[in-house]
Amino acid sequence: MTIEVRNISKSYGPTKVLRNIDLTIESGELVSLLGPSGSGKTTLLRIIAGIEQADPGSGAVVFDGEDVSGVDLGRRGIGFVFQSYALFKHLTVFENIAFGLRAKRRRERPNEAQIQEKVKSLLELIQLGSFAQRYPSQLSGGQRQRVALARALAVEPRVLLLDEPFGALDATVRRELRSWLRHLHDTIHVTTIFVTHDQEEALEVSDRVAVMGHGQIEQFDSPQEVYENPANAFVFKFLGNYNVFHGRAGAGSFVRPHDIAIFREADGGQPDARAGVVSHIGFGGPVVKIELEGADNHRVDVELTAQAYHELKLERGEKVWFAARRAHVDFPLDYSI
Amino acid sequence: MAGAITAAVPHVAETKRAVSTESPAARRILISITVLFLTIFVVIPLINVFNQAFSKGYEAYLSVFFPQRPDPDAVLTFSQKRRLAEAAAQAARTWRSIGLTAAVASIVLPLNILFGLAAAWATTKFNFRGRALLTSLIDLPFSVSPVVAGLVFVLLLGRNGIWGPWATKLEWPDPFSLHWVGFADGFWPLAFGQTHVGIIFTPLAIVLATIFVTFPFVARSLTPLMESQGTDEELAALSLGASGWRTFFKITLPNVKWALLYGVILCMARSFGEFGAVSVVSGHIDVNDTMPLRIEKLWNEYNNQAAFSVASLLAFVAVITLVAKSIVEWKAARDIERSD
Repeated sequence: MTIEVRNISKSYGPTKVLRNIDLTIESGELVSLLGPSGSGKTTLLRIIAGIEQADPGSGAVVFDGEDVSGVDLGRRGIGFVFQSYALFKHLTVFENIAFGLRAKRRRERPNEAQIQEKVKSLLELIQLGSFAQRYPSQLSGGQRQRVALARALAVEPRVLLLDEPFGALDATVRRELRSWLRHLHDTIHVTTIFVTHDQEEALEVSDRVAVMGHGQIEQFDSPQEVYENPANAFVFKFLGNYNVFHGRAGAGSFVRPHDIAIFREADGGQPDARAGVVSHIGFGGPVVKIELEGADNHRVDVELTAQAYHELKLERGEKVWFAARRAHVDFPLDYSI
Repeated sequence: MAGAITAAVPHVAETKRAVSTESPAARRILISITVLFLTIFVVIPLINVFNQAFSKGYEAYLSVFFPQRPDPDAVLTFSQKRRLAEAAAQAARTWRSIGLTAAVASIVLPLNILFGLAAAWATTKFNFRGRALLTSLIDLPFSVSPVVAGLVFVLLLGRNGIWGPWATKLEWPDPFSLHWVGFADGFWPLAFGQTHVGIIFTPLAIVLATIFVTFPFVARSLTPLMESQGTDEELAALSLGASGWRTFFKITLPNVKWALLYGVILCMARSFGEFGAVSVVSGHIDVNDTMPLRIEKLWNEYNNQAAFSVASLLAFVAVITLVAKSIVEWKAARDIERSD
């Protein structure tokens, strides 16, 4: 199902949370809303779901060409997964998943055998087949997340909306669930929007990323495109670590730490190489983080692959030369994150 | 009493986290003071109630409720007959006061459950202007003296009250006088045996005064839990297509059931025991006596043993309430912990 957000604004009292948002999501896409806290991403998701209403007269939410702005949350055909999972504490996993089916109007409601079958197949899908009679309090965070997802999927929603789906999980479970969600999406092809503040997560999982800041969509493009061709300094800065080298007045040269090369000799083949002293070495597994102190105490962060680090044999306090392999220039510098 | 109630459920969770920093000596002194205080002001009086009630023996205790019936063959003097008739009349009044207390509680409780749920829902799940004011208004009965509350009703609904002209002429059938009359007079086989006129100095006034005094209990015991639970579960249910009613009965109510029961227990205990407000609006008429009013009358008639016998019933209810409260309190605190 295609989802169109047309000119949506939202304010809480005097605070404008969303400013004239336009967004079109194609059928079957997996899209992430990525932004720092306070960027309005969760509010946008809740407006699409119908949990919150946009400012009166500010625009519309359109599902497949049909304006659903006035349609109740329960009649929009959405599946919403809350950051807190919001599982029903007093119901078993089975009854949690069956809740939406049992709540259907009598005419649409499946019979008991159909409910049993449907819930069983969903339990298989989330790989929790033997957990049907457990209560939410007896599950781990990752398991709860999957139950919440199955509960939302049970009513066969036209669109799946996930609010910070992996926010409360530890790093390992996060990574597992992330690829699991991608596989799940490839199997069921339901249009999915998820909110996250984790760049890596958004870039890895989504078909397209909407980078949000200050209540606006700064850029909406494929992960590769937003990372390699950021529309402005905000997007560039938000998507990863960076160094700023002052260039012409009013403009800066932005360089990712892994786009900086370190040389042992002054004429390492790079005519514009500058000198610096290694002030810190942080070993982070496959990536080694080096801090250099350049002229005027300007700190430069560099990321080397472990291999490059071993070849260079760097020591603390050593004098080296460095140069940018690739830089994004000409973003106005006064753009704050 | 009010102070202990306002702390309500969250207090329970907090006490668990209490960490002692005092020296053992200070701890021992504090515990001794508490135990001594409770012994003097709670345990000894409570024991005294039962002691006095049984001061003339087990049979005298029972005869307060079940007076001796005269042996039909025995020849009685006039004064003996009078004493027996008197005892029978006293027992009838006592039974009526027990019945009225139960009847009032049975009307007040459901109303307070409805009001408490609505108030707790409104003040925790919505954000609106004046919410803080509403929350403190709900607590008003805790800070107003019950006697004042009773007087307010008299001043509103009494003969010279603002609504007096309407209230004193109001006719209402006593719902507890509904009885079977058969089909002889028509299609409807039930009729009211008693109709009251006016509100003040009738059982209706007692119901109103009791509602006023007890309405914060349910709301106050639900509020902390509902606040900590937030609205996510309800929103999840709604997003799955459930109706508002289904969401309330299947999700909200099961989540707060122990806190609700806790509020109901407190509310019931207070409605049984309320004296001040009820005393003012009862007009000291015998038929309007609830158990506490009945106890006072027996006491004023120098019938100490009978007064303590009726009091022992209230004390017994209090002990049961205490046990039930502890169990429910524990379950409600567990719900709060789970929702954190």
